[in-house]
Amino acid sequence: MDIREIAKKAGVSVATVSRVQNHPETVANATREKVQSVIDECHYTPNWFARGMNLGKAETIGIIVPDILNPSYMEIIKGIEDIMSESGYITVICDGSYSTEKEEESIDSLIKRNTDGLIIISSSISRKKLLSIKSKGIPIVSIGESNACKEIDTVKIDYEKASYKATKHLIDIGYDKIAMINGPKEKRENTLRLEGFKRALENSNINVENNYILHSQISLDEGYLLTKKLLKLKNPPRAIFATNDIFAFASMAALRDNDIKVPEDIAVIGFDNIQLSRMIESKLTTIINPLHKQGVLGARLLIDIINNQDSEDSFTQEILLETKIKIRKSCGYGNRIGEIF
Amino acid sequence: MLETNFMGLKLKNPIIVSAGPWNGDGKKLRNNLKAGAGAVITETIVSDPYSKISEQVAYNGQGLQNIRFYSRFQLERWKEELKIAKSDGGIVITSISGHSPSEVTYLAKKLEKYGADAIEISLSSPLGEGVEVACSDQNFVYDIVKHVVENVKIPVMVKLSQHVNNISEVSKAAKNAGASAISAINTIRCILGVNIEKGVPLLPTYGGYSGAPIRPIALASVASIAQSVDIPICGVGGVENYENVIEYMMLGASAVQIGTALMLNGESVIGKIANDLEKWCTNKEISSIDEIRGKALEQIKPLDELSLQPMTCKCDDKVCKKDCNLCIEYCLENAIEFVNNKIKIDKLKCIGCGLCVHICPTNKLQIYDEN
Repeated sequence: MDIREIAKKAGVSVATVSRVQNHPETVANATREKVQSVIDECHYTPNWFARGMNLGKAETIGIIVPDILNPSYMEIIKGIEDIMSESGYITVICDGSYSTEKEEESIDSLIKRNTDGLIIISSSISRKKLLSIKSKGIPIVSIGESNACKEIDTVKIDYEKASYKATKHLIDIGYDKIAMINGPKEKRENTLRLEGFKRALENSNINVENNYILHSQISLDEGYLLTKKLLKLKNPPRAIFATNDIFAFASMAALRDNDIKVPEDIAVIGFDNIQLSRMIESKLTTIINPLHKQGVLGARLLIDIINNQDSEDSFTQEILLETKIKIRKSCGYGNRIGEIF
Repeated sequence: MLETNFMGLKLKNPIIVSAGPWNGDGKKLRNNLKAGAGAVITETIVSDPYSKISEQVAYNGQGLQNIRFYSRFQLERWKEELKIAKSDGGIVITSISGHSPSEVTYLAKKLEKYGADAIEISLSSPLGEGVEVACSDQNFVYDIVKHVVENVKIPVMVKLSQHVNNISEVSKAAKNAGASAISAINTIRCILGVNIEKGVPLLPTYGGYSGAPIRPIALASVASIAQSVDIPICGVGGVENYENVIEYMMLGASAVQIGTALMLNGESVIGKIANDLEKWCTNKEISSIDEIRGKALEQIKPLDELSLQPMTCKCDDKVCKKDCNLCIEYCLENAIEFVNNKIKIDKLKCIGCGLCVHICPTNKLQIYDEN
C-alpha cells in the first residue's frame, strides 16, 4: 500500500494525504478524518526516507561514540535517548572503535543520510573537520572534551578537578605510592586527568613517579594487563587511580588473581560511577560523573540548535557539570565525611 | 490591604505556596492560586530527575521528615504545565536546582521562555547533598546567582538554608551577585526518630525536616538576613496561621511561604490564613501589610545590652489554689515560695529569667522591666 493508493481510496489527491500526515492543521476537519480513517484501516505507514526528503529533515540524530561496549558511554546515550525519543527523534549510534578515521567516516555517512543533528561523545575528530561541519550549518554538540570545545556547543565535566579529587582522597586516607591507569594520552580529557593527578601529588609534596603512570585504550583486558605490570615493579604502588570504572574492575580482578586484597593490600579508586560499581566486590569508591545528565543536556542543546537555526540570538553554549566522590569499600572507609548520601 | 510588591511582582497577599509536591504540576499550581495564594512556586525542577526514588514521609505530630527529591518531570514537560498553571492568571515562580552555574542557568533560561514570572534557585536542599548543602560556600552561591542573573530578565530569588556557618555572609554573596530576594529557610537535614524495637531509623535515609518545630530557627535566620542585606526576604518554615505570617514580617520578611501546613491541612489553609490576616489588619487599622515589616526586628537587642533592661517576675493575684507547685520546683534561683497559700517572690533572688511565666498553668505570673 502506498500513498497513491491511499489517495485514491480516500478520494483525495496525493498532496492532501501528505498534508494530513505532515501538516494536519492545514486540512479541513472532515477531509482529515476521512483520510486518517483510510490510513488507519490500511495500516499505512509512510516511507520515512521519502518523508524526510519532503520535510527537509529525517527526524533522526546521529551519535558517534568511541566504544559502544563501554558502559559509561551507554549511560550517556541513555540520557540522549530519553530526551530525543520524547521529542520525536530516533537516534542512530555509530561505534568509533577508538579510531579518529572511523569516527570521521561515520560523521560523513550520517550527514549524507540527511541526519538532523550530531552528538559526538569524547571524540577525537579533528578540529578542522568539526569546524567544517559547523560551517555547513549542521547542528552538532559535543559531550566531553573535543578538539573544538570553544566553537561547538558542549556539555562536559572538569576532568582535571575530578582527578584531583580522586587522588586527594587517596592521599587523605594516607597513601603516597599511588599509580594511575589512564586512557589514551592523545585524548584531551586524559591529559587533563593526568594534570589533576599530578597537581594533587605535588600539593602534598609527593614525588610523581613516571613508572606509576600508564596509558592505554580503555578495556577490561588492558586494565588487567597494566595492573599486572604495576605489580611487577620493584616498588609496586599501594593505591591505584583508574580513570574509568572499567579499568578499576579489571584492576581488581588482576589483584585478586595475584592474591592481593582490596582495600587491605592495595586501594583502588575508579571514575564514572557506572551502575555496576555498587554491585561488584569490593564495592567501588569512585568519582560520580553525571553521565546520564550529560546525555540529557547534550540532547537539549542539540534540539535547541535544530529549532533555532535561523535565530540570531543563538550562541555557543558550554555546560560544565559538577562531579563528586562516592566512597564505598575499595579504598577502605577512611575519611567518609565527604561521602554523598 | 494585603497587596504587596515583592521583588517587582505585585502579589495580592504575601502568602506564597512554597516549592514542593503540592505544586508538582500545572493543575496543582493553578488550584493553589485559586485557593488564594499571592504566588506559587513549582516543585523544584532539575536537569535530570531522580525518577527511581519514590517519595517517603514521616510525621511525629509536630514536624515532618520528607524524602522527596525534585520534580519527576523532565524540563520540557514544564512548558505545558506552566501554561496550565497560569491559565487563570496569577504569579508562578519556578524553583530550580543544580550544581554548576551553567547547569542552573540553562534551566533558568528555558523556564523564563516557558513563562515563569520569577526564578527561585534552591541551593539548600539537604537531600542527597551530604553534610554540606550547596549554599555553604558563599563563592559558589555568588558564581551561580551571578551567572543566572546575567542571563535572565525575570527576578531571581535565592533559597538559603540554616545549614551554613554564616548566613549573613551567604546572603551578602547572593545580593552582590544580583539576587532580587532571598528565601529562608529550606528544610533541615534530619532523622525524625528511631524505631527502638526494630533498631531502624523511621525513614531509611536523612531527610528534610519541616513544619512548626523549625519555625523558631527560620525566624532567627530571617532576622539575621534582614540585618545583613536590604533586599526583600521571603520567610519559610512552619507557617501555620496568620500569626506566623505576622511574626515573619515583623522580623523583616516581605512575604512568606507555606508548604507543610498545606500537606497536613489541605489547600483551604491558604484562604484561611489570608482572611485571618486581613481581619487582623482591619482590627489594628493597618492600611498596608508593609507597615508591620521589621517592627520586631528593631526590638532585637545584642546580648550585652540585656543588662540595661533588668527583668523581674511579679504576681498580681497572689492567691493560688492550684496545688501544682511547679513555679516553686522549677525556679532556678529558689526565689518562689508559698506562704499562707499565697505566692511570695523574693525580689532579691529573682533574676527575671521568665521560666515560671511559661510553666504556670494559670498564667498568674508575669515578667516585667523593673525600670
